[in-house]
Amino acid sequence: MHAIEVSELRKKYPKKIPLPFRKVEWVEAVRGISFKVKKGELFGLLGPNGAGKTTTIKMLTTLLEPSGGTAKILGFDIRKDAREIRRRINLVAEGERTLYWRLSAYENLKYFARIYYVPKEEERERIEKLLKLVGLWERKDDLVMNYSRGMKQRLAIAKALINDPEVLFLDEPTLGLDVQSAVFVREFIRKLVDKQKKTVLLTTHYMAEAEELCNRIAIIDQGRIIALDTPEGLKKLVKGEDVVEIKVREFSVQKMEGFPWKLVVVKEDAERGITTLRGQIDEEDLPRVVELLVKRGVRILSVEQKEPTLEDVFIKLTGRALRD
Amino acid sequence: MPLIAIIEKELRMFFRYPLRVFSAVLVGIVFLLQFVFFGQAVLGGRYSQLLASSTGIGDYPTYALVGYVLWWLSVSPMEAYVWGIRRELQRGTFETNIAAPVRITELLLGLALSWLLMDSVLMMIVFAFGVLIFNISLTFSILLKSLPVLLLSFLAFLGFGFVFAGLVMMLKHIGPFAQIFEFAMLFFSGVFFPLNVMPKAIIEFSNILPLTHSVNAIRAIFIGKTYGEITSSVEWLLLLVIVYWLIGYALFKWAERITRVMGYGGY
Repeated sequence: MHAIEVSELRKKYPKKIPLPFRKVEWVEAVRGISFKVKKGELFGLLGPNGAGKTTTIKMLTTLLEPSGGTAKILGFDIRKDAREIRRRINLVAEGERTLYWRLSAYENLKYFARIYYVPKEEERERIEKLLKLVGLWERKDDLVMNYSRGMKQRLAIAKALINDPEVLFLDEPTLGLDVQSAVFVREFIRKLVDKQKKTVLLTTHYMAEAEELCNRIAIIDQGRIIALDTPEGLKKLVKGEDVVEIKVREFSVQKMEGFPWKLVVVKEDAERGITTLRGQIDEEDLPRVVELLVKRGVRILSVEQKEPTLEDVFIKLTGRALRD
Repeated sequence: MPLIAIIEKELRMFFRYPLRVFSAVLVGIVFLLQFVFFGQAVLGGRYSQLLASSTGIGDYPTYALVGYVLWWLSVSPMEAYVWGIRRELQRGTFETNIAAPVRITELLLGLALSWLLMDSVLMMIVFAFGVLIFNISLTFSILLKSLPVLLLSFLAFLGFGFVFAGLVMMLKHIGPFAQIFEFAMLFFSGVFFPLNVMPKAIIEFSNILPLTHSVNAIRAIFIGKTYGEITSSVEWLLLLVIVYWLIGYALFKWAERITRVMGYGGY
């Protein structure tokens, strides 16, 4: 049995409250996705903002009613067995405001332990263990409002482990974190899978994070899964192709109109005025690409050949960068 | 038990800020004084024969104090749903709670009970202040006799408030709409003036508000009436408990279905 089985899952949101006798327009956010996650697997949903990742997680955690298709978590149907599923899973939702800032870390975990029906005799020990695990035991009595963003996220993860879930859903777990906190969170997630044998489904739009952490990745775009494989398997899609990264100044989208090669913006450093372009360009075409860019008034700072990454896979499949 | 945990969490957050508690008590007292002194100014004194003949209580501060405290408590569950859920939505904690295996109805009930408990503490202070300031005669037996009616009233208030629980979940911001109901309760339940000065249709309408029967019953107990003499009010309250809980629950289930399609979402 798989931990997660998703088949043709769909979600349409109404533009207005769908009251009886009211004509309402619907927007399709998830358009029939299917995948399976094995027990003990770290599975990633990688895609740009608005791709349907959070909607998918919300449906799988029984917070949203799907418009079509089916999904099972540990064999339980997300439509019929919501309470059974909720007992066995937990979620780190996107954003930092998922905890009570006016309670201490200990009080927060105690509260969530109770609403997750953690046996009273295990409660104290479990809270202590989790707070030590995320390095917050010394600050357990401080109000959460006095925590840094990284500490809040560590506490959110401790909260998500309060019921010792079999399946953990993490929605953009490192979004907005400083480098040090992000590293801590990533290492922690990896340990959860390797040592505690948890099944983890995480969403991210950071390709490096997906590549570093996940056993398998589904690339999702505009509500559809456009590729699903191991990171290595996905990169094979662009293997053998020359990936070039060009750092430029004085760049504008207008200057690229009708440009014969596909180059996409993968990074913009507004402070320094540097734009990073990336694309699959044959070695023999490279001088002409540079020449044409210069002709169009773009200042070239550097041209580098790169190893293909998941970003290149995404560019190849969609013609856009993940950041778009 | 989740219900106790929810109440504990709410009380902890409320009483953690003494200034907030002090401010709430102060607001309660200021409004009470304002209403009582205004009433006395209109009546030309503390005692009113007209009030005595129509309600049994001629002493305006006693009449107003009972009505005022009960009105405050009657709108407490409604406020818990409307503002409490809104606050959870604003905080971003509502979905975190919904994702837990605890039933959503238990979450909401816990919220309403904790607000009712907090308001009861505040109103006990305001009530004690009113009794002292206006020298209202009160015996232990009156308080004891009031308790069962008070508990029944709380059940009715919780049911009445529950009608709003689903609406706020679905529509998110219904504060102004709920405020209309809060003040309608104040106006149509005979809190500060006897209902018999109102047109007959309004007197009839007031019967569907639990506060009307709650204030009638408690005031009757204050003037020494027995339970036998307040059966009509108690029967009305019993009926309204059932009616409002049924309406509230049905409305909530319907709103929950729609909310699950749209998403519990943030605020």
